Amino acid sequence: MQLNKRQFLMGSAALAMAGRVGGARAANAISYWHHFTSQSEMTSLMKIIGSFQAANAGVAVTQENIPNSEYMAKVSSAVLTGGRPDTAMVIAERFADLTAMEGLIDLTERVNGWQGKANFPENRWTGLSSNGAIYAVPAFAFVDWMYYRADYFEEAGLAGPPTKFDEFLGACRKLTDPSKGRYAFGMRAGAGGFKYVIDVMEAFGSPIVKDGQPAIDRAAAVEAITFYSDLFLKEKVVPPSAPNDSYRQIMEGFRTGQTAMVWHHTGSLNEISAAMKQGNQFSTAPMPAGPKAHVARVAYAGNGIMKEDNIEAAWQWVSFWGQTDAALTLLEGTGYFPASAAALQDQRITGNPIYNAAVETLKFGRLPNNFVGAAGWSENVVNPAFQSVLTGQSTPEQAVDRMIQGLEAALR
Amino acid sequence: MTSSSSRYLPLRALGELSETRYWMYLLLLPSLVMILLVIAYPTLYGMAISFRDMRLTRPGLDGWVGFKHYAGMWSDPVFWIALKNTVVWVTAAIVLELALGLLAATALNRDLPGTKIFAVLILLPYFLPNVVAGHMWALLLDPRLGVINDLLVRVGVLETYKAWFADPNTALAATVLVEAWHGFPFFALLLLAGLKSIPEDLYRAAAVDGAGVSAQLRLITLPMLKTVIAAAVILRVIGLVNSPDLLLILTGGGPGDATQVLSLYAFQTAYKEFNFGYASALSVVMFVILMIFAAAYIRLSRITKGEGDD
Repeated sequence: MQLNKRQFLMGSAALAMAGRVGGARAANAISYWHHFTSQSEMTSLMKIIGSFQAANAGVAVTQENIPNSEYMAKVSSAVLTGGRPDTAMVIAERFADLTAMEGLIDLTERVNGWQGKANFPENRWTGLSSNGAIYAVPAFAFVDWMYYRADYFEEAGLAGPPTKFDEFLGACRKLTDPSKGRYAFGMRAGAGGFKYVIDVMEAFGSPIVKDGQPAIDRAAAVEAITFYSDLFLKEKVVPPSAPNDSYRQIMEGFRTGQTAMVWHHTGSLNEISAAMKQGNQFSTAPMPAGPKAHVARVAYAGNGIMKEDNIEAAWQWVSFWGQTDAALTLLEGTGYFPASAAALQDQRITGNPIYNAAVETLKFGRLPNNFVGAAGWSENVVNPAFQSVLTGQSTPEQAVDRMIQGLEAALR
Repeated sequence: MTSSSSRYLPLRALGELSETRYWMYLLLLPSLVMILLVIAYPTLYGMAISFRDMRLTRPGLDGWVGFKHYAGMWSDPVFWIALKNTVVWVTAAIVLELALGLLAATALNRDLPGTKIFAVLILLPYFLPNVVAGHMWALLLDPRLGVINDLLVRVGVLETYKAWFADPNTALAATVLVEAWHGFPFFALLLLAGLKSIPEDLYRAAAVDGAGVSAQLRLITLPMLKTVIAAAVILRVIGLVNSPDLLLILTGGGPGDATQVLSLYAFQTAYKEFNFGYASALSVVMFVILMIFAAAYIRLSRITKGEGDD
């Protein structure tokens, strides 16, 4: 078919008009950015959206999942270019950067007038607040703990999981058997491994930041890095792939029986439970305590509002996540620990001994370091610095010096 | 009547314009606007940012700092490691891809039975997005479940499974091999097109004069493919220097900084530290290096020289 010029111009005009009509959005349609990607996460999210829309007629939620590794790239680009979503998922580690780039809207007034606030003890709000202002409503928590192979412990004659670092080292020596291709500890030193490096440094008595200033205690940090890297270099109780092992690799190692212990958080419980039996094959325990401090992170994640266009509907959505039903839907589908104290009383938690370690950790657990630049310093400095020790490219002293310099630059 | 004619006036004016020689400029206008908006403006804006302090997490820092970021690179050890790795990674990948591409193109040019199927199979890696190729090779080379480790142990090359990406001595080489596998079909495709355009008579005449296979390759094939090779190399170098995605998936620049390259360093500086000023300066350096490389390469390969100039 051939078009003459008039038809071409008329067609173009019609298409342009259609684009305008199609591009218009309902007044109460709100967008939601998150980094849920797994099947169980997405199923739970869709259930929560369904419940919300049933309870709030006229408000439609359009969700968009962004891979976790690209989340901040997309959010920061949106802030820079003005393409913000109405609402977004906020995890504790990213909170400082998000508020510093003025990406979140102050919700203090709304939270204070919200009846659901009482379900959240004060520490739930701490990690999502800045200068006294609240920027997100807590939804769930990642409670750090240790998974261990109960059958391997029994086989090695170990009475129970280690509670301190020296016991941990002793257990590592007993559980490692290279002839069986078995290593005691699935160390995460690839992407995301910085988290445990920082934990071990704090467990040896080195703070990271105090009053907004760099506060790494060099001697304590060197001792910590030496202890942690020796598990790989000297004790050889860690798989040789550790310098590049990220979440996927440490989980595969644990699930396939290569490793006997792995440090992670409550978020991976469902995945591990699907591969092996709770109690008989694996169990959970609080993270072992270091010589100076018992460190395990309790990171509360929530939802914030990024723009004011549809703020009433947006508030309904983010506060819906704080309700007990939404928390339990997520717990059931993913195993993600609720942030709400009311939801913690549910029988699915109190009646399941596997959660005892998480409940115990809530008593002493620390919030993640919350300073502007924390994410960049952790990923771009701590990770490669520690990896370079594992691969013999630098000493623990050099690695700590690099971390100190990087931290000073990040806070400058 | 008046109102009717005025309502259609814009369309009529367009219709009249289409009869003139200015219509061509009007048709080019959308492309020009797009180029200005999508290429020229971001490039110039990026260059301008490199002279400013711009951190998203420090909204107060937004001043002109001149060459501060460029001066900072001199004392930034990661920059120099990334620069060295970029040169090694790109050079090794290009050499391998060119060699494999030439081999594949020569084989496909023979028009033997089954070459069409082989042509499709050879091109398959190039159709895979970097993200898919990266995850696939991460699994193939996995130190626990990897098929390649299993094969190498079975044939006796390795005693135990090797963690290729966890060892700084093998990590960069392993990523180069993955990149070469992914990128060689690009060369195969272009070189095959080039080979098809070489007259068969030249080879027959050379054979009559006693030229063997290697002499034919050296004296006919390579000189005739010079322009195609130069264009392919330039395009591929630009692609490799600017694409951090494969390394981001396979190693994240590690272990340590063993596989850190400039594009990945710029990406991490921008989107992990939100330091857009320094990241832009790194990008400008990459841009300048690529410009110098392209100019030097074109000059050295003499592809712009006319046939009669000799």
